[in-house]
Amino acid sequence: MSDIKLGISLYSFSTEFIHEKLDFEGICKKAHDMGYQGVEIVAAQMVPEYPYPSDAWLAECKAILAKYELEPVCWSAYIDMGIRGDRDLTEDEIIQFTVNDLIYAKKAGFPMVRTQHAISPKIFRQMIPYCKQLGVKLTIEMHHPHHPEVPVWKEYFEIMKGEGKGWLGFVPDFSIFQTMPHKLYLDQAISFGCRPEKLAEIVELHRQKADYSVVANGDFNDIEKHTAEEMFGKFSAPAKMEQWKDMIDCAFYMHGKFYYLDNDDHDPCIPFEEIVAEVKRLGYKGYIASEYEGHHFDETIDSEEQLRHFVALMTKNIEK
Amino acid sequence: MDFQAYNKILICKDDIHNVLVDNVVIGYQFKIKYPSYRGAFLSCIEALSFEVDGQPIPASQVSFQLNGKDFLLSELSECFKEYWFVRDPATIFVRVFGGIAPGEHKIRVNMTHRVPYTGYFGQYLTLVSDVTETRMAQ
Repeated sequence: MSDIKLGISLYSFSTEFIHEKLDFEGICKKAHDMGYQGVEIVAAQMVPEYPYPSDAWLAECKAILAKYELEPVCWSAYIDMGIRGDRDLTEDEIIQFTVNDLIYAKKAGFPMVRTQHAISPKIFRQMIPYCKQLGVKLTIEMHHPHHPEVPVWKEYFEIMKGEGKGWLGFVPDFSIFQTMPHKLYLDQAISFGCRPEKLAEIVELHRQKADYSVVANGDFNDIEKHTAEEMFGKFSAPAKMEQWKDMIDCAFYMHGKFYYLDNDDHDPCIPFEEIVAEVKRLGYKGYIASEYEGHHFDETIDSEEQLRHFVALMTKNIEK
Repeated sequence: MDFQAYNKILICKDDIHNVLVDNVVIGYQFKIKYPSYRGAFLSCIEALSFEVDGQPIPASQVSFQLNGKDFLLSELSECFKEYWFVRDPATIFVRVFGGIAPGEHKIRVNMTHRVPYTGYFGQYLTLVSDVTETRMAQ
């Protein structure tokens, strides 16, 4: 038996939710039927009247989770810095949104809020008394294109390991380990006008760590150049396994991000085998959320089938 | 490119309806949804325009109806406390005497919108959702 449990971000069912094939309760039932227990909700997606949800809905959310024997694990929040076109959010506004999310999480029965890097070290620190009083932990997601070497994360880790210990933590998203574009991304690039043989050439150049200028100055059309620029920008600085040991004590939760799996054994884009082996070796105890994100690229993919591949792949490695 | 698949939900499948006040047809309406996996503050909409059968609809004839309120397109950028839930359709009301003729029409929606949380290294991601669909008017 391992101390690592596989949970689910209900966001994995984005396609079904936004195309109105499943509502919130339908998604909870589906998660239960698939054998999941721990769940995460993306509030800005599934909570009616958000960011001002009613107490009645928050109580109903708690009741629905109980009905399907689901354990509330993480209430996911954003720092929507660019709500206004004329300026970024002020400190007071960031505090208001964050404290509100801690309160909503508490009312709906969630022991943790996941927020974003833009909260700033100063405000992150100011949230400690709210976390302690409400009994709700606050975490920041480390999501691609961020990685452990981004300067602000040094400050965040200091706070998590210092005065925020036990209450402030982080949620590594496995996108930080992605080394190459996934199938849905490549299929979409072709549908937007990339010639398949040229796209294959770009993928190979990227694999060989060529400089983007080779594409910029080469025989490629505009959409191929745009795709290459995005690809070289996104997948060229993956986090390293040896970085886990310095940060794992701050990981309260993890996002098992994936985009497309056509089998139960292996993903060529994200090294799940290495990730699981390393976090197990370091003694991680807690949830890894199944987080399917292919819905950004293709709404015809069956989310449940993707999740079943992921569960099989991860279970094999967790139980190894 | 992230977010592109969500454009499929922008123009709702509902028919176009003429709007009657007593027996006077004062315009027509159709429905749109916010093209993302999550909702948005209306202030993140930087530009929104419509064409019907290839003809641009003047902004002065359009009302954007959501959350029980009625907004001018020029007011959207100021609505930073107004949230568009991802499953709630907004009604686009076009004010024109006589409404729209029954039958098929091509609706084009062009929306420039800012993703407010993506400033990882400074710049916000701004998306253009440009969708044309054929819908039936009753």
